[in-house]
Amino acid sequence: MPMNDDQILAEFVVESREHLAGIENQLLAIESGGENTDLDLVNTVFRAVHSIKGAAGFLGLNSIGHLAHALENVLNLIRNQQLRPDGTATDIMLHAADKLRGMIEDVDHSNDIDVSEQLRELEQVAAGERPQRGEAPPVEPTFEPVAAPEAAPEPSVNFSPAAEAFDPPSAEKDHSFEAAARAQPAAAAPAAASPPPAAESSIRVNVGVLDRLMNLAGELVLARNQLLQVVNTSEHRSLTTVGARLNQVTSELQETIMQTRLQTIGTIFSRFPRIVRDLSNSLGKECQLTLEGQEVEVDKSILQAISDPLTHLVRNAVDHGVETPEARSKAGKPLVGKIAMRAFHQAGKVNIVITDDGRGIDIARLKEKAVARGLLHPEQARAMSDREALQLVFRPGFSTAERVTEVSGRGVGMDVVKTNIERLGGTVTIETQIGRGTTFHVKLPLTLAIIPSLIVRSAGRRYAIPQTSIRELVRLKASDVAQRIEHIKRAQLFRLRGTLLPLIQLSAALDAQVDPSVSTGRAMNIIVVEAGHLRYGLVVDGLCDSEEIVVKPLGRHMKGCSCLAAATILGDGSVALILDCVGIAAHGQLTAPEEEEANHSGARSQVQETQSLLLFSNDPKEYFGIPMELVARIERVVVHQIDSVGGQKVLQYRGGTLPLLSLEDHVRCRTRPEKTKLYVVVFAAARREVGVLVPELLDIRGVSTQVDTDTFREPGIIGSVVYDGMTVRLVDLHELTRKAHPDWFDSQSQMATTPEGAAPRILLAEDSDFFRKQLVGFLEAEGYEVEGCEDGLVAWNTLQEPGNRFGLVVTDIEMPNMNGLELTRAIRQEPKYANLPIIAVTSLAGEEDVRQGRLMGVSEYHVKLDREQLLESVAKLTRGAGTKAKKRNLV
Amino acid sequence: MSTMHNQAPVTHDEIEFASFYVADALMGVSIDQVEEINHNLELTPVPHAPPWVCGVMNLRGAVVTVIDLRVVLGLEPTVITRRTCNVVVRSGGEQIALLADRVADVVRARRGEIELPPANVAGAEGRYFQGIFKLDRELLVILDIESVLAGDAALS
Repeated sequence: MPMNDDQILAEFVVESREHLAGIENQLLAIESGGENTDLDLVNTVFRAVHSIKGAAGFLGLNSIGHLAHALENVLNLIRNQQLRPDGTATDIMLHAADKLRGMIEDVDHSNDIDVSEQLRELEQVAAGERPQRGEAPPVEPTFEPVAAPEAAPEPSVNFSPAAEAFDPPSAEKDHSFEAAARAQPAAAAPAAASPPPAAESSIRVNVGVLDRLMNLAGELVLARNQLLQVVNTSEHRSLTTVGARLNQVTSELQETIMQTRLQTIGTIFSRFPRIVRDLSNSLGKECQLTLEGQEVEVDKSILQAISDPLTHLVRNAVDHGVETPEARSKAGKPLVGKIAMRAFHQAGKVNIVITDDGRGIDIARLKEKAVARGLLHPEQARAMSDREALQLVFRPGFSTAERVTEVSGRGVGMDVVKTNIERLGGTVTIETQIGRGTTFHVKLPLTLAIIPSLIVRSAGRRYAIPQTSIRELVRLKASDVAQRIEHIKRAQLFRLRGTLLPLIQLSAALDAQVDPSVSTGRAMNIIVVEAGHLRYGLVVDGLCDSEEIVVKPLGRHMKGCSCLAAATILGDGSVALILDCVGIAAHGQLTAPEEEEANHSGARSQVQETQSLLLFSNDPKEYFGIPMELVARIERVVVHQIDSVGGQKVLQYRGGTLPLLSLEDHVRCRTRPEKTKLYVVVFAAARREVGVLVPELLDIRGVSTQVDTDTFREPGIIGSVVYDGMTVRLVDLHELTRKAHPDWFDSQSQMATTPEGAAPRILLAEDSDFFRKQLVGFLEAEGYEVEGCEDGLVAWNTLQEPGNRFGLVVTDIEMPNMNGLELTRAIRQEPKYANLPIIAVTSLAGEEDVRQGRLMGVSEYHVKLDREQLLESVAKLTRGAGTKAKKRNLV
Repeated sequence: MSTMHNQAPVTHDEIEFASFYVADALMGVSIDQVEEINHNLELTPVPHAPPWVCGVMNLRGAVVTVIDLRVVLGLEPTVITRRTCNVVVRSGGEQIALLADRVADVVRARRGEIELPPANVAGAEGRYFQGIFKLDRELLVILDIESVLAGDAALS
């Protein structure tokens, strides 16, 4: 029969696809039934394959027909209980089903596909010829084109083109009933032994039609809203009644149409038994998957979008969660790992929970990995809570697998899972217990088409914010605004139950023209929103209403508008834009604390071209900066806590007395304004803690280390940098302290000379220009000769230059090209430098770093940048080195 | 020379254009491409949108992007008046409205009489135009809708 009727062929493909959709799980169920074969189920599968065979024959799809026939043969034997469906048989049947599916998807070329291998395997199964199986009941090979007629409830259907195996195509074209109903060879006699065919209670409908219906319902809702606005202002009683009726019907209509888009989550759950089975087989693991809540209904669009993330989580559970049987038996667990997927509705959301009883996530190892991959700094790792650490799993470029397996190392990471779920307005969380297992909890909205939203006003326009993003609404009275809003530079922060939330003015985020008179001295409406990990306050002019809005996509020209998610049409027919809270946060350059860490560690691993400065002002117009690395901590104090003892300001603090310095007492600047609260920036100098009083903190920013050391140079000020159009003077905390308390430094002036009277040369490796200049400056001030190098490699080359002799190496740890530890190792490997003392100056002296450094041969460690301690060490070590060097020279 | 208001059926070698003014220039779009022309000017501006997007509007339940033709063509943005209109076209599966200063007539032209556009018309780049058709007193500049709507590259 010529295959020229595309429509018939397309029908065949759709129908066969549906037959095959359920076959996997049915075969698996048959396998798990073991001895007590579920004959009804076998019948169902048999009929499905039989239908495919019949139609394929009719359409001249010989390869499909042959394969379906061979598969049908095996199923027939099972049905007749002449063959037990064990693992191998099931495997072969599954492969055959896969092959069938493949051919059906590319039906035009299906006749070119070689199915001989599948045929051979199926024939072997049918013949009981499998090496793995001895107990197969001997059955006579039945290669007849007719499936064991005496046992088949169906009439025997010829494999050759048989018109009665398929409805006449003309009858098929117009109405497409659910395939299951038609799956029976319709023209054939009713199958007495088989369960009644599924009732024709469902029909197949084009998704496009549903979408159109959905849109129309949305429009109807809008029209109703508009009508109701008119009706409610009218006096007509009858009109009001009609309005109420229309209202009710419209709502129901909308809901019902919504339901047509709902599909049970079972449609995607059903693929997981196979995935788990195949994956555990290939990994040599044993897993049992239980599914629960398959009847839970979700919008089709969500279902499609969630399919891949769920697959990833399931594969993950098998691959990383469940241990090998050996490991499980060692741990005293049942050999078979349990994976459970459960779907349920809760609080208007769809919840999907994926649990395994595997090894759990080892948080310590997670941290190690993150450090090893440069995602995290060792110090950050130590400070990180377990809960935070678990979030590392969702970082891009992170995988908990020891090695990249074929299974999980496919470039799709958990970060993609998280992003995709969040894109749907959902969330994913992890819980884990080491040795006990891991649970992923996914929460999703029911639909994407209609979302509950809050309508807000900003700069004269209305916007919709999805309720899923909103955590709470806060209204600040005009009188409270000043008290609860803090300003750091241009950024506003809002104190909410002890935590500081960054605030974003919606009008500013959307670049709207703002009438300044509106915002000042008025109450403030803050919408606390959650975007990913980030929580912030969105300041709007007013709140209008809570509404179910119909989401309408924005056109292609607005793809770049990251602050907007979509649009909707309000009751009065005007368009309101739906805000994207994640986009707004990104636009406002807010970053989550953990992202900040990532940026921070990222910046560290790069060449340090910028210096992190604490920016503050004394007088509102004078800006100062202190390198963050020198800041021990920042305290907030009330002015009356500050005592004056013998002309010195001090703060009673942590059981001791903290001496305080005021900038205007020591450098040229305006007097700090009267304030009731002040910040104290605490730093170390002269082997004690000192505080600088700062009225206003502005920001912490990476600032270029191009320091102008002339224009503003004075004792206490190193120089200046220009940042964001303002001149920022860099405070030299050491000089400042020295100016204030010269007495603290008297005992410090140690002679920086060798016994010979010559100043020893110091080799300095430091990549930050700023620190290098500072170090060179104060070492030279003490009478040393210093050779500054911008990284370890330059230092190493300088050290080896003939004629260069150094009494001491001072090195930074984090440097490009060759870091401090590598430099130390290089030096220590060279016997002639065996006694050269090395001082490591670092901002990160965790115990582990110190230990490692000492192992490499670092003589002393100093935290950036306690000058006194460093000078003391330098003095001590150069004296020793000087003599040693001299001795060696004499040899 | 073809004329307007011709009631005779459109023949094979004829083509009809919906015409409208953008600034002083008469422009046309093949009538097959035009879904409607309206005076619905309740626009909602879209923050951060490209400069040639003057907003979105509600067109019977669909949210439609409104493009300012003047900006695309490199002129000053349109000042909305009573006569300002939207020429709604379909492109890439979505409806898009083109803002024009004033609607004009339907122009019928013989295909053979449409000339290639010069490199530059009324100060705007030639790539936005498909051709030129000479009317009695003025020129009809035939817009290439897809280039106009893909004008992003040049402008952004």
